[in-house]
Amino acid sequence: MTPEKALMTQEPDATAPEVMATAETVASQHPRIDVSGAAATPMAANRADTQTVFRCDDVHVYYGDFLALRNVSLSIAVHEVTAFIGPSGCGKTTFLRCFNRMNELIEGARVEGSINYHGVELYQDEVDPVEVRRRVGMVFQKPNPFPKSIYDNIAYGPRLAGAKRSELDDIVERSLTRAALWDEVRDRLKTSAYGLSGGQQQRLCIARAIAVQPDVVLMDEPCSALDPIATGRIEELIAELKTDYTIIIVTHNMQQAARISDMTAFFSVQANEMGQRTGELVEYAPTSLIFTNPEDPRTEAYITGRVG
Amino acid sequence: MTEEVRTEFHQLMDEVRADLVQMGGMVAEGISAVTAALLAGDIGGADQIIAADDELDLLSIETEEKCVRLLALQQPVAVDLRTILTDLRMISEIERSGDLVTNIAKAVARLHGVELEPRVRGLIDRMRQQAVKLTAMAMDAYAERDAGLASVLNDMDDVLDDLHNEYIVSVFASHELGRIDIQHAVQLAVVGRFYERIGDHAVNVAERVEFLVTGELPEHLGANRARARREQDEM
Repeated sequence: MTPEKALMTQEPDATAPEVMATAETVASQHPRIDVSGAAATPMAANRADTQTVFRCDDVHVYYGDFLALRNVSLSIAVHEVTAFIGPSGCGKTTFLRCFNRMNELIEGARVEGSINYHGVELYQDEVDPVEVRRRVGMVFQKPNPFPKSIYDNIAYGPRLAGAKRSELDDIVERSLTRAALWDEVRDRLKTSAYGLSGGQQQRLCIARAIAVQPDVVLMDEPCSALDPIATGRIEELIAELKTDYTIIIVTHNMQQAARISDMTAFFSVQANEMGQRTGELVEYAPTSLIFTNPEDPRTEAYITGRVG
Repeated sequence: MTEEVRTEFHQLMDEVRADLVQMGGMVAEGISAVTAALLAGDIGGADQIIAADDELDLLSIETEEKCVRLLALQQPVAVDLRTILTDLRMISEIERSGDLVTNIAKAVARLHGVELEPRVRGLIDRMRQQAVKLTAMAMDAYAERDAGLASVLNDMDDVLDDLHNEYIVSVFASHELGRIDIQHAVQLAVVGRFYERIGDHAVNVAERVEFLVTGELPEHLGANRARARREQDEM
């Protein structure tokens, strides 16, 4: 699969000029998926669009009849780190999974409302979820390397995407370097990934995620299984990666959100009269504002430990 | 229903709040005591007040240590962070007011034997009244987290400023009539200035309380104008 392959499996037909125009706009705005290779300078008029990777409007997520997340509207800005924080059950991980259609892998999960990715409706039938997941990679809570060598872990995705054998060495080195792991593993690329420490395994997973040249990297509590030093390395790495990638991270560690993110979304959970607990977005603002002077009293109560 | 999950942290913050309120109370009492000593020419009483300032210094250092501990160990954010920043600034303001009380106490000996005219005495007592009032109000605003009360302090301080001006005029009128010599007139003028400064510190405390509650300082208005000018210049 070449990088310029469209998000959609079906070519938009001529009767849908709107969709076509949007797809072109996407290509021109994103050098990585630009066929011509010419990095487009965004015009002032569409600047707002080029800054936005995802625009979510009135997103509801159901698991069967159960409403897990209610009415979320927010935009994710390009090359920023956006953190989702909130108590357990507030829907932050559920929401994170919406961005690469991972929820579809859960039986009975349903997403309503609009999630717009660079001008393309993510949840329309024409969109290929596999291609979405290539562009929107994910790193999980527990490092989950494949039972393969370090090299093959990284090469796996690019191979599937049709990368040539001759390109693989390069991709592996570049990805591992970008994930700040190359120097530690260059001499043992053919050994099992399971021989790495937890922190190294997590950086390997980040390297694996970026090996397929994604646009966005989703991280679901990527440091919760790591010690403070390994956590610090991942945090440094996130700060470096945001020059090339848009990062959305779910974290239970509020200080981590404060340290690494540009924007923070605080989710909370409310039980209805039947005891069903539904998550909702309470406040979404620049991180420095959330942690110095949040607008909503619920945000303040949560981050200062006065749990409402 | 609010469930508290950082009990120890917030208990220590409450302790700091109580310490500051106590410090403010010590200053307010000190203003009245030192004024009584000044008007009575009571050098012994003044010496006691000077010695008592050590207690205020000790309390201010202990309170500051608590704030440092909170910052280092508890990662305060939002209103907690603003509170501790406010507390730290307030410690200096209150401690400085305590020093001014001491300065007035030191002037008592220098003014020993000077007959003060009734008008000057009356103005000293009214300055005391205003300085105590401003200090107590600033501390009430802090204790109650009352930004509204805090916001009126700056205007109220005008009363003390006017009294101070009137007092200076009276002191030098008294000198011109030959009732006090120039050294004592200058000494009295400086004492007046101490009262006036205590009022300023109370206003500073009140501004910090506004910051604590709202996240904004009155200075933000002027700062925003300066920022706009700076951005204009850069364009």
